[in-house]
Amino acid sequence: MKEVLIDIKDLECKIGDQKILKGLNLKVNKGEIHAIMGPNGSGKSTLSSLLAGNDNYEITNGSIFFEGEDITDLSPEERSWKGVFLAFQYPIEIPGVSNINFLRTALNEKNKFFGKDPIPAKDFLKMVSEKSALVGLDNKLKNRSVNEGFSGGEKKRNEIFQMAMLNPKLSILDETDSGLDIDALKIVAGGVNKLKSNENATIVITHYQRLLDYIVPDFVHVLHDGKIVKTGDKNLALELEKKGYDWLKINSLN
Amino acid sequence: MITDKLNYSPLVKAESNNALDQFKGTLYPSKKEEEWRYSPLKKLRKIPFINDSSFVVKNLSLLNLPKLEGNILVLENGRFNPNLSFIDNIQGLNISFISNSKENYPYSTNLKKEDYFSLLNSSYLSEGIVIRVDGNAKIEETVNVLNIVSSNNCLVNTKIDVFLNENSSLHLKQYFIGNTTSKNGFINHLNNISIKENASLVLDKFQDLNLNFNISNDCINQGRSSKVISNTFSTSGLFTRNNVTNNVNGEHCHSELNGVFSPSENEYIDNHTLINHFVANCKSFENFKGIVKGNGVGVFNGKVIVHENAQKIEAFQNNKNILLDKESIIYSKPELEIYADDVKCSHGSTTGQFDDEAIFYLRARGISLKKSKELMILGFINEVIKKCNNIDYQDFIIERLLNN
Repeated sequence: MKEVLIDIKDLECKIGDQKILKGLNLKVNKGEIHAIMGPNGSGKSTLSSLLAGNDNYEITNGSIFFEGEDITDLSPEERSWKGVFLAFQYPIEIPGVSNINFLRTALNEKNKFFGKDPIPAKDFLKMVSEKSALVGLDNKLKNRSVNEGFSGGEKKRNEIFQMAMLNPKLSILDETDSGLDIDALKIVAGGVNKLKSNENATIVITHYQRLLDYIVPDFVHVLHDGKIVKTGDKNLALELEKKGYDWLKINSLN
Repeated sequence: MITDKLNYSPLVKAESNNALDQFKGTLYPSKKEEEWRYSPLKKLRKIPFINDSSFVVKNLSLLNLPKLEGNILVLENGRFNPNLSFIDNIQGLNISFISNSKENYPYSTNLKKEDYFSLLNSSYLSEGIVIRVDGNAKIEETVNVLNIVSSNNCLVNTKIDVFLNENSSLHLKQYFIGNTTSKNGFINHLNNISIKENASLVLDKFQDLNLNFNISNDCINQGRSSKVISNTFSTSGLFTRNNVTNNVNGEHCHSELNGVFSPSENEYIDNHTLINHFVANCKSFENFKGIVKGNGVGVFNGKVIVHENAQKIEAFQNNKNILLDKESIIYSKPELEIYADDVKCSHGSTTGQFDDEAIFYLRARGISLKKSKELMILGFINEVIKKCNNIDYQDFIIERLLNN
């Protein structure tokens, strides 16, 4: 019997007066990779942001269980400590804060939550060089301000590097392929695959099938108008690539 | 009247007894004056100031200060406190006190009616320190001057004259401290700084006044090829105002005025600066960052004047502010007046709040809301903090700025 990692039940949310998610259900077990695809405006990025705890959205119904615990009302940092990680579609630039200082703070805040001592500088630096090698992140970038002046590809690598450092149970990759050339895509996907284990799970949010050649999903879901309207295996992604989303809209109306 | 309860101390021996007498009744500026529009002068007006030159502080470790290295000169309530001071004899460095001087020490004669607090300073000077650096002397040791007010309602008028002769250098650190146990004390201070050809001065100022007042007037005169770097960190104070005038009188000078100021609830911190480029081929850089909390009020008014014929000037001025709360107020007025035609100058000012997306990003990485805000502030002030080359001092400033 597989262990459920995250269980999203009847999730509905709105921003202002606009309803975005309209009863979304999704269950992800440990060891699985799920892809969520869907046209623009279907609610993909809302879902990822919501799972990470962004309170710009008002949850009007439903709940999110993580390892059996209701995390619907938890803050972003509490979710992070419990093992939720969101790789941002548009990683934020934070001038004046070095990547290294940012990560050390993040790790130590997590340690503090678990009642552990701060990580010794030597161990931290060793970990940094190990994990950055995973995505081939340039040494110089580690000491620069967070994402400041990074190219699109460097920002995405930096996201996966952070993911490797924080070692989450659930990674949500929000359009990690956008803005990446094919070489960078391979490197980023390679990093994600190396971090995969039977103890963690990944939700890949993407427009295009291309990324799924490199990160092969166990399930593909189609999100449309705030709901999952179809679920299949990796072949569903290929079908979508060929036919677009319109045939699904018609199907779901019927 | 501010001076009603003061006993006149004739430290300044001039022909006229009292500089203020010349301008009777004009001690306080009016709010209608452009330069004083945003200053809550009524805070000062209602305090009956007194003289009180007693020593209260038993040990410097009782004050919140970083580790002090080099010479330490302590003025407490306007009087030199030898018990807290440490003066090392350093070749090329001459330190003397106006109260010990056998010569007549004239007050500044070039004061105008509008120099309200300089006039007050000149008339009621309680102590002055004269620091001279001989030509070619590079002073490695830092000279620390602590100016502490530790008695309630105490008016302190102090002054430092700094003379850097040709090719010399000095690092001066000033601390304006309002003891946490005192309130409504007022340090009215004057720096008169003269930097001769090829000399260089680093002036770090730290102002932590708590429930006390501080007005600090700096007049800096630069000779040819000289350099001044002034870093001002103002962490607290009911009323803290810096008036800096930097006259660049010789060519090929480098002038830098940097600062971070963080007024919080009921506090007012004001940086007024004026850089006068009188001659050609000089560079000036100005960078002030404000962090305003609660109903605190911050002011930045920086003026750069490039005078006629001062060609090839490069002058850059920048002021950025973060308002942490809805009630927080900042008045920012960057001014640039250019009367020469071949110059490279810019000025800018931005004021905003925390970027919510950035805060969410940090929190999504497991950094608590409080710590996320701290990191954002650190990032915001980093480029100014880095101007200080001492890590302990940097850490101290950061700690004080975050915890005010």
